[in-house]
Amino acid sequence: MHNNKKILPFLYLMPTGILLTIFMIIPIIYTFYLSFFDWNLIAPTKDFVGMRNYIEVFTDPVNQKVLMNTFFYIILLLVLNFIVPYVISLVVKFFIKRMQGAYKIIFFIPSLFSLVVGAMIFSWLLNPVSGPVAFLFRESGFVLPNWTNSGGLAIIVICLITNWKVFGYNFILLLTGLGSIPKNIVDATTVDRIPKWRMIWNIVLPMNKSIAIYVLILTIVQGLQYVFTPINVITTGGPYYGSSNVLYHTYLNAFVLYKTGNASALAITTFLIFLVLLYLEIKFVEGRSRYE
Amino acid sequence: MSNKKNALWHLPLIIIGIIALLPVIFMISNSFKTLQESYQSILSVIPNKPTIDNYTTLNHQVNLVRLVWNTFFMATLVTVGKLFTGLLAAYAFRYYQFKHKNLIYLLFVATIFVPFTIVMIPNYLVIAKLNLLNSVIGVALPQLCDATGIMIFLKTMEKIPGSLFDSLKIDNIPNRRIFFNIVLPILKPSIISVGAMFFINSWNEYVWPTLILKDKSSFTLPLALQNYISSEGGTNFPLAMALSSIMIVVPLIIYLIFQRYILNSISNSGLK
Amino acid sequence: MNDNNATIELKKVTKEFKSTKVIDQLDLEVAAGEFLVLLGPSGCGKSTTLRMIAGLETASDGEVLIDGDDLKKKASDGHTIAMVFQDYALYPNMTVYQNLEYALKVHKVAKDERQKRLTSILETLNLSDYKDRLPSELSGGQKQRVALGRGMAKKSKIFLLDEPLSNIDVQLREKARDEIQSLHDKNKQTIVYVTHDQLEAMALGDRIAVMNDGIIQMIDTPENIYKNPTNLFVAKFIGTPQINVLPVTYKDNYLYLGEHKLVEISKSSKIQTQTNYLLGVRPEHIKVSKESGDGFVTEAEVTKVVDYGKFTQVTLKLTSTNIIKAVIKDLNCIIGDKVFIQVEEKTSIIFDIDSQKNIYWDRV
Repeated sequence: MHNNKKILPFLYLMPTGILLTIFMIIPIIYTFYLSFFDWNLIAPTKDFVGMRNYIEVFTDPVNQKVLMNTFFYIILLLVLNFIVPYVISLVVKFFIKRMQGAYKIIFFIPSLFSLVVGAMIFSWLLNPVSGPVAFLFRESGFVLPNWTNSGGLAIIVICLITNWKVFGYNFILLLTGLGSIPKNIVDATTVDRIPKWRMIWNIVLPMNKSIAIYVLILTIVQGLQYVFTPINVITTGGPYYGSSNVLYHTYLNAFVLYKTGNASALAITTFLIFLVLLYLEIKFVEGRSRYE
Repeated sequence: MSNKKNALWHLPLIIIGIIALLPVIFMISNSFKTLQESYQSILSVIPNKPTIDNYTTLNHQVNLVRLVWNTFFMATLVTVGKLFTGLLAAYAFRYYQFKHKNLIYLLFVATIFVPFTIVMIPNYLVIAKLNLLNSVIGVALPQLCDATGIMIFLKTMEKIPGSLFDSLKIDNIPNRRIFFNIVLPILKPSIISVGAMFFINSWNEYVWPTLILKDKSSFTLPLALQNYISSEGGTNFPLAMALSSIMIVVPLIIYLIFQRYILNSISNSGLK
Repeated sequence: MNDNNATIELKKVTKEFKSTKVIDQLDLEVAAGEFLVLLGPSGCGKSTTLRMIAGLETASDGEVLIDGDDLKKKASDGHTIAMVFQDYALYPNMTVYQNLEYALKVHKVAKDERQKRLTSILETLNLSDYKDRLPSELSGGQKQRVALGRGMAKKSKIFLLDEPLSNIDVQLREKARDEIQSLHDKNKQTIVYVTHDQLEAMALGDRIAVMNDGIIQMIDTPENIYKNPTNLFVAKFIGTPQINVLPVTYKDNYLYLGEHKLVEISKSSKIQTQTNYLLGVRPEHIKVSKESGDGFVTEAEVTKVVDYGKFTQVTLKLTSTNIIKAVIKDLNCIIGDKVFIQVEEKTSIIFDIDSQKNIYWDRV
């Protein structure tokens, strides 16, 4: 009986543990190992090159461009996938009285669809020649720029596509956080005739901080992975790496250019950035001692 | 006065609602237009002469049954695997004391923050070694566990009062029976909602399958759809939209049935 | 009416939630500087009434007036009304001092003035040492005092309190009650205080409004409500142990309980022969003796004795179905004793059996 109590939990954790070891922990170590070699994924031998791959991450002009793009992606994702849904969830929570449920149900619908579908629909909607938006632009005397020719514009469109998909999801997460603020606290500010925007700024936002940080970090970590799909489907990183980001460029190096070492170094760099974010998440959200 | 103010706040929300739904409505409508009509009456939502030509063409070009089956099989494998491993792990975290519990839990949660690029090369090599390239099993295998599931199940289990378990212990009910007779039924709503989310996400999955599935006969729906989209232009949109429309049916049905469960589970996943 | 307080008036106020009437045509006037307690069981509409005065709920029908003016117009400055909530509603991200200061800061009270007010309040409430703590670091009693202090800091004309003491330990309640009392004595604000605790209501209120089913059953001084309740509900709701209620019949100048003569009644036009009534007698008004005679005519059997120290409460069986409670002081009883009881007309309350109204309500 006593023995059982010691063995059983590990038995229950074993399936997850084994899968994580084989498909997560060992691969991370192996990728770290590969990042010090020059290899093409197929050849029987790997050449040890030391830190060269890492130096290239920061010195190679294409990599530099891709890192800058990644930074641009993060800013855009934060605005589109975090700030906008947050503002909207505040509106739904504090400024309207009816239809909250309906908005939740409707806003979530695009989250059900594959990003491939989203990429396809938006490349039709925003098609500079035959799309409906271009048509409307023409009717009113404007010209829709050919956004696939400009890295910056392509990045904006790609972020809009992921925004279309994840907006409802993040909106509901943030709205739930706002819902956990006790009604009496809101009532207290009403009795004291505190203007709504001050209540939001001074009380609601500080109280909702932990879930907001969770969504914020998730927005960056998942957002950078989400944009992979529309990049691959619509621009394949072009024009000339203009819409590529670190994750897509890693894939390109690994499976198109067969520069496994470079890809691994890029992946490790990404991982380090995410680890910093993870640290912030644990510090602000998980709390230090969930179990003890 | 206050009513007018209220209505004003609804305006941006209604616009967002339209942005959310209109593209899908256009997509479905275009799938019933001929290529020519899709160019000519670009803004009309209802086709002049509805036609199912796109669907029949599609049926000639690809093996739809096979595509749906591949996608369904993969999504089912992944969903069942994630539910199974997640329930067991959450149960261990909730009801047993063991060394480094806090650390192990954090490690599990940390996997959410691991970018797929860091594991894709080794995992690709492993799947290739196992001779599972071009097989949906190869796609599913590395994805049979998921920290989100563990988190949500753990949260639900924490809502079950501890006194219930104390009374079961006093009555000397074995753990296995507690799990199957008490915990599992209480968890049913979370299992449904988390399962629905896993299934939908897997149904839509694109990145990892593109690496593993190269042979057309092993394709899932998102990969087949990607084949209809040309990055150089000249995409036959009505045709691609017909395939997309087929693709969204399953997630939509699941959402219609389990809408409340699904929205609740999202709420739960974010709150600690 | 002066700078310290204001009148409150509710005129035919009705409140509906999804077509359920919570408040029905309620009329209520609170004088300037009055301490009014809204008392009633949960769900009686007392909190809803308070929330309408606070402006948190809008009346479906009728008017809420402050100093004779519309509530919205009058209270929009943020200085007129302060409210203390049952679970305190302290801002968890702000320290005690910031909680007290927040509304004043938003409404642009000068910094010196803020500091002066808060220092004195913190001192009065014994919170000076805790001013830099967060609410999560305080005990229940401390939180309650912070909530009270936050209301006080505004120096509002109207102070609303929604069951402010129900979440703190019984031992602390009396002290908190005294604090609120002395606060009112000092500042003379108009106070509306919601509670379900009759002791609190009796101790604090200048007047008490007893509510049930969205209607004010009676509004009067604590003394009148206790001695001369308008109806059976009020009689039963006020007083512990609860008032005894017996079905009686009037005949030949006596109220009879079955065959037993119970109370002698002087001639009255309101009470009619051969008619059934409900007789209400408070336990302390039932006289008990071991010997019969001299008014002690009704026989009873002691079935339970509880000694509370300063008095003893006995349960008496009059007939097989009629059991009453009495409070005795200088008598030793044990279970099984035969005793005789006396009920006097002046301490009896007679209710109509159908309407359950006090038939002598206008007697005073």
